[in-house]
Amino acid sequence: MALRNAVAQTAASVRQLVQRFSLALLVAAAAGTMLIGKADTVLLERVRAAALDLVSPLLEAMSRPVATVNDFIATVEDLADLRAENARLREENARLLAWQSVARRLEVENGELRGLLNFKEGPQATFITARVVGDSGSAFVRSMLLNVGRRAGVASGQAVVTGEGLIGRITEVGDSWSRVLLLSDLSFRLPVLVERTRERAILTGDNSPLAKLVMTQSVVGIQVGDRIITSGHGGSFPVGIPVGVVASTTDGIRVRPLGEVTRLEFVRVIDYGITGLVTGPAPPPEVFGPPAPPPAPPAAKPAAASKGR
Amino acid sequence: MGEFLHQLDRALYAALPGALVSLLILLTLAPIRLPDVMSAAPLLPLMAVYHFCLFRADALPAWLLFVLGMLFDLLQGGPGAPVGISALQFLLVRQVILGNQKYLVSVSFTFIWLGYAILSAAAVTLSWWVAALLTWRWIDPQPAFFQYIVSLFLYPIFGWVLGRGRNRDPLNAPGSRS
Repeated sequence: MALRNAVAQTAASVRQLVQRFSLALLVAAAAGTMLIGKADTVLLERVRAAALDLVSPLLEAMSRPVATVNDFIATVEDLADLRAENARLREENARLLAWQSVARRLEVENGELRGLLNFKEGPQATFITARVVGDSGSAFVRSMLLNVGRRAGVASGQAVVTGEGLIGRITEVGDSWSRVLLLSDLSFRLPVLVERTRERAILTGDNSPLAKLVMTQSVVGIQVGDRIITSGHGGSFPVGIPVGVVASTTDGIRVRPLGEVTRLEFVRVIDYGITGLVTGPAPPPEVFGPPAPPPAPPAAKPAAASKGR
Repeated sequence: MGEFLHQLDRALYAALPGALVSLLILLTLAPIRLPDVMSAAPLLPLMAVYHFCLFRADALPAWLLFVLGMLFDLLQGGPGAPVGISALQFLLVRQVILGNQKYLVSVSFTFIWLGYAILSAAAVTLSWWVAALLTWRWIDPQPAFFQYIVSLFLYPIFGWVLGRGRNRDPLNAPGSRS
């Protein structure tokens, strides 16, 4: 009886102690996790992957109604300046048609010249189309969640693009989800080329809408309006994906990303370089670049050579 | 049967704050099209935590806030949102409110709003500092600032909606505060 009393008393005092210090314990646990996250990222990534495995079906289910709401907002916004937009598109269309004929001519010429040089193309890229099911929501993280994962062939490091250009790279992959780190995130680094001068540089994000260009060999040649493309250094990205346009050169070189991030519903993950490893029948790979290039048949090689002379 | 329904009602009522904070966490992650100026979603979970700690602190115990905050950070991902920062924010907000409850009882809504303004400013500043320290880089504070301002002006609507719910509270006298 006395023993039971003593046990009960101890239990009560322990409970009291825990209650009194529970807040301090929890605060310490939260702060400790931040430090552990800094030191041991692998452990935390595992926990994070488990949490996302749980939540991604919910986000996927929510994404369709969310898309409907977004479409509605977009419609209302677009109606407001329909006429101006129409005029702008007409003008752009005329300009693009002119460019198209130039591109076709260059494509043929390029094909012939490559034939002459016996040029070897890099591995061909295939695309995985994904729906955006989640944003980061945090003010200091710029990332998105996609509804495709390992099962669809997504792997860490792959490039993510829209029709306009690159938006980021895959950093985490689960079975049926993946996370894209956007260009403007703090920890984003990418080897790029200035398209006009072919100068190499590194693009980094700093949480602001404009990314920063660092480690250029010389800043002198770079002008506002220069296009920035991926350089392909590092392997997992194809060469020449448009990344952004130089927006200012006064306060360091700032680049405005081309892929519009705020209103995305679908994006494409570029599966590059894996074609050499996959065996068995695969769908014909899409080539990244201008649509419908006129094919340069191998038989054309001698003809091209003779024409060149 | 009546007794069972009553119990169910009570259980749902007790689970409401936690469920609502979880839902708002999911909503924050949903890719909702925001105006271009806002790259970050409003601080909806923090608003709910503030509101419920003020009026129904018993329904949001510290351990639950810890779990929800951790989950939120895990889902946000990236070095800008170290895992634990939201948990820390929620716990500190709760503790400050509980510590000052005698001043916050039966004050006008303006003061509750002011309290929210101060506490959320502190929470946002804390997360900015922690993110900057842990990544050891200058972080552009503008997205966080806009996030704070938009949340500040959303809070009255939020408080009003939740206040309506509170007035129908089976345990409280109707319309006691707000």
